[in-house]
Amino acid sequence: MTAPPPGRGGARSDEALEAGEAAFPADLRRDWTDMCRRIGGAGYGATVLDAYVRHAPAIARRASPQAALALGDLVSRTAIRSGRRAAALLPEVAAEAASAFGDKTFDRWLALVRTMVTEAPESTPSFLEQMPYLLRQTDLGGLESWLRIGIRLAGGDRERRLAFFSLQSPDSLRWLQRESGQVGFLGMESRLKPFLAALWGDAPPLRETPPNASAQARRRPGFDGDVVRLPTAFAGFSPADSERLYRAAVAHIAAHLRFSRQRFVLGGLKPVQVALVSLIEDARVERLAIRELPGLARLFLPFHTVKPSAASTAPALFARLARALADPGYQDPNPWVEKGRAAFDAANEEWQDQRISRRIGDLLGNDLGQMRVQFDPKTYVVEPPYRDDNMGLWDFGSDSAALGEAEEVVSSASRRPEEDDRRPPDRVEQEWEPDSATGKAEITREMVDGILVARYPEFDYVTGRDQADWTAVKEYAPRKGDGGRVMRLRQERADLAGRLTALIRSARVSRAERLRRQPEGEFLDIDACIEATISRRTGENPSSRIHARYERRNRDLATLLLLDVSQSTAAQVRGGRQTVLDVESQAAALLSQAMASLGDPFAIAAFCSDRREDVRYMRLKDFDQPFDGLVEARLAGLESGLSTRLGAALRHAGEDLAKQKSYRRLLLVVTDGEPSDVDVEDRKYLVEDARKAIHHLHRRGIDTFCVGLDSSAESALGRVFGEHGSISISVVERLTQLLPKLYLVMSR
Amino acid sequence: MQYGAGTAKAHDSATGGPLDDFRITSEPYYRPVAGEVALFEAAHSTRMPIMLKGPTGCGKTRFVEHMAWKLGCPLVTVSCHEDMTASDLVGRYLLDAEGTVWHDGPLTLAVRFGAICYLDEIVEARQDTTVVIHSLTDDRRILPLEKKNEVVKAHPDFQLVISYNPGYQSVLKDLKESTKQRFAAIGFSYPEAAVEAEIIASEAGVDRNIAAMLVRIAERTRNLKGHGLEEGASTRMLINAGLLIKRGIAVEAACEVALVLPITDDMDMRDALQAAVAACI
Repeated sequence: MTAPPPGRGGARSDEALEAGEAAFPADLRRDWTDMCRRIGGAGYGATVLDAYVRHAPAIARRASPQAALALGDLVSRTAIRSGRRAAALLPEVAAEAASAFGDKTFDRWLALVRTMVTEAPESTPSFLEQMPYLLRQTDLGGLESWLRIGIRLAGGDRERRLAFFSLQSPDSLRWLQRESGQVGFLGMESRLKPFLAALWGDAPPLRETPPNASAQARRRPGFDGDVVRLPTAFAGFSPADSERLYRAAVAHIAAHLRFSRQRFVLGGLKPVQVALVSLIEDARVERLAIRELPGLARLFLPFHTVKPSAASTAPALFARLARALADPGYQDPNPWVEKGRAAFDAANEEWQDQRISRRIGDLLGNDLGQMRVQFDPKTYVVEPPYRDDNMGLWDFGSDSAALGEAEEVVSSASRRPEEDDRRPPDRVEQEWEPDSATGKAEITREMVDGILVARYPEFDYVTGRDQADWTAVKEYAPRKGDGGRVMRLRQERADLAGRLTALIRSARVSRAERLRRQPEGEFLDIDACIEATISRRTGENPSSRIHARYERRNRDLATLLLLDVSQSTAAQVRGGRQTVLDVESQAAALLSQAMASLGDPFAIAAFCSDRREDVRYMRLKDFDQPFDGLVEARLAGLESGLSTRLGAALRHAGEDLAKQKSYRRLLLVVTDGEPSDVDVEDRKYLVEDARKAIHHLHRRGIDTFCVGLDSSAESALGRVFGEHGSISISVVERLTQLLPKLYLVMSR
Repeated sequence: MQYGAGTAKAHDSATGGPLDDFRITSEPYYRPVAGEVALFEAAHSTRMPIMLKGPTGCGKTRFVEHMAWKLGCPLVTVSCHEDMTASDLVGRYLLDAEGTVWHDGPLTLAVRFGAICYLDEIVEARQDTTVVIHSLTDDRRILPLEKKNEVVKAHPDFQLVISYNPGYQSVLKDLKESTKQRFAAIGFSYPEAAVEAEIIASEAGVDRNIAAMLVRIAERTRNLKGHGLEEGASTRMLINAGLLIKRGIAVEAACEVALVLPITDDMDMRDALQAAVAACI
């Protein structure tokens, strides 16, 4: 045994070090003591060495000795980048993690912390402090995802990172919930939408409660005439219960939409009365709903779990009253609860009438006042948790004081959510405005603000998961340029236009037709065979055309041409005088002319992007518009600028194309380079996202093809569009080569 | 030209004819929903060609069978499909040892001897097949058999009935306007709840409560038409579910098998439908 290292940590450390040796196999003991010496001698202080020496042996046993040594490296690194406090904290947190995970997974966890220390050193201390909580919320995969999202959202800003990783920002909690593997709104949404529509037909759209709503508002569902809001997650419930809660929440709100026909007028009611009227109304609509759909009782009742022995506080009494009204089999000795039930049951002939809720609620509210039961509007939350916050039931009028008070009552929300949910489909997140950053290409023209039309997810290839609502697509009005220029370009290449027309006409992309009396084919044409035999028997020459087959003979194809107008298209084409954008416009014009003359449905759009919050989409021609001077003017008005966030543009174009009813639908993308954007450093990230978008399009039955112009990005485009999904050209003449290849691919 | 309005036809009483196989001897159960019986009888009295329009599984075929029985007419049914040729309808020469023999197709049989010819789901057939009916649907009422060099004049009792589901049609598969205009159309849709329950109770042999529950479920699925489903559950599917329940299958399982799984492959839609089914039980 070698001599112990200089006793920076004192005798205690030395003892611990020796004791720790037992945890390491003989061939690693030297490494262990070396590591301790290194840490001890580096000047990080006694606490750091102490912590490492104390906890590393446990890690060596629970995970692996190698991991314990790797931890030592990480401790050093952490001390340098994040400071002593973090470095001293790390071993203990690691020891807990090693208990939670096995050998392999612990290595992943270490890698996660290493990423943290590298990318967000200032946030590492609070990250480590939160670790026990974080690991209760989500698994390791979710944590990795959350880490990457936090770093990406902060966009390099230290303060924002700190806010995110210390869970101070409302967003970070919401993302944590989303990544939690818990059942959450995002996972349930596509199952809940049809469920809501199935119950009683058309219903307002479903939305997740925005992250900047108050904490109380985020705990309960809510609705108004235009939208149904559901929480990101129901914290503290098992996955199975969470699913049932979501369904119960949807069914309960559906019952309100059907039976709570008018809003109650506030009219000077006290908070406790508002709460009670809402409670009765909840019971009333549920009973009516159960009359029509009896199975809903099994959905609602299991969540009424309160027992009669609970204290006689307002929240307890309310919960007991709610249960008594919902569950005929529930017995409660409290006279007030029984009075409520009796009054409600007595009115069962009148359950159709909303006014009984007010009447009974008033009655019970008075009683409660006389019983001197305290009601605190600030802490009141509707129970059971599937029930909505009742904001949608009340007409607060223009009395803002009453509004404030009633809001306090009904949902304990001190602030209404700021979003106007009446906008067309989008989920507005309260994102920080990105500062003007480096690398933004200047645009010479003024940009009129675009209109936000949709949000799409973006795929992170590292975690293999989608980040929901990550990109915002804004539609901008296309500028008009000199349409004559485009027309002249077209006329210059009139011969080319003619050849394109011929090529398109000959394309065979349609439902297969039956061709009979063929000399060759896949099956026999019975009628022709009979005739041939008759001919033979009568001594005539039998025809040899006795086969039949199916063949595509026509075109039934809708095409959307998507043009990349990012900054790089301003460059000149190799060996030519035109810019890439010129070639794109010319190609678009020629193709359009051909398709228009043949009557094929087609549309043209252009895109570029300025980070994920501003993916710009310009509609130059919609499917139902003619190809005319206006479209040519818009083609001429295109200008190069900004970046190429291809995935978002593909998803948005796909939505348009999906509505076309033709047999085949083609998205033809014209671009000059690989997808990229200024807020993304990883070159692979947007390529992989675009590839994912292409997969989704194929699954929806939309074909894709890419024309790479003068592109040095052939391999990237091949990755995105597939081996036979793209072609490179540098001059428009090559379009004639492109088309046959394209139609061949499509007619398979 | 008017034909006898009564149900007995001179031809009927002659059994041993070529249409014997097509006579309906026992009453097919049909529960009238609106005035469709009277409408059909009126159209039949002038042998007007009739088109039955409506979603699948809501009683069109059963209705025709019922009316054929009620009016005492033989009924020749052809289920149309993509591979059908004109010869499949009108007939062809077949070869035997001595030479060739002409065999009438089902349409020719009905035309020649006076039956109702029912072309079910006519849009499935290609247009070069359905063109043969044109000469039968105007005043001429003739069927030319070119290969045989014969023009068959329709028997006075011949009538053409087709069924047509307007839901799924795309531009590619549709009846030509000129074809549609030759027919009078009777619309079919799902009966109202009480009537539908009665039908299910009768056809599946289940009690009224179960029948009513199945109708509730059907309503939920029909709410989703256009919101993820092409069609809601049809009356026929409900009868299937009822039959399974009658044989002892648990209600939820019967509904899953007969109502949910056939109409969607999408996992989320299935989940939502199963939850909706549970809400109705």
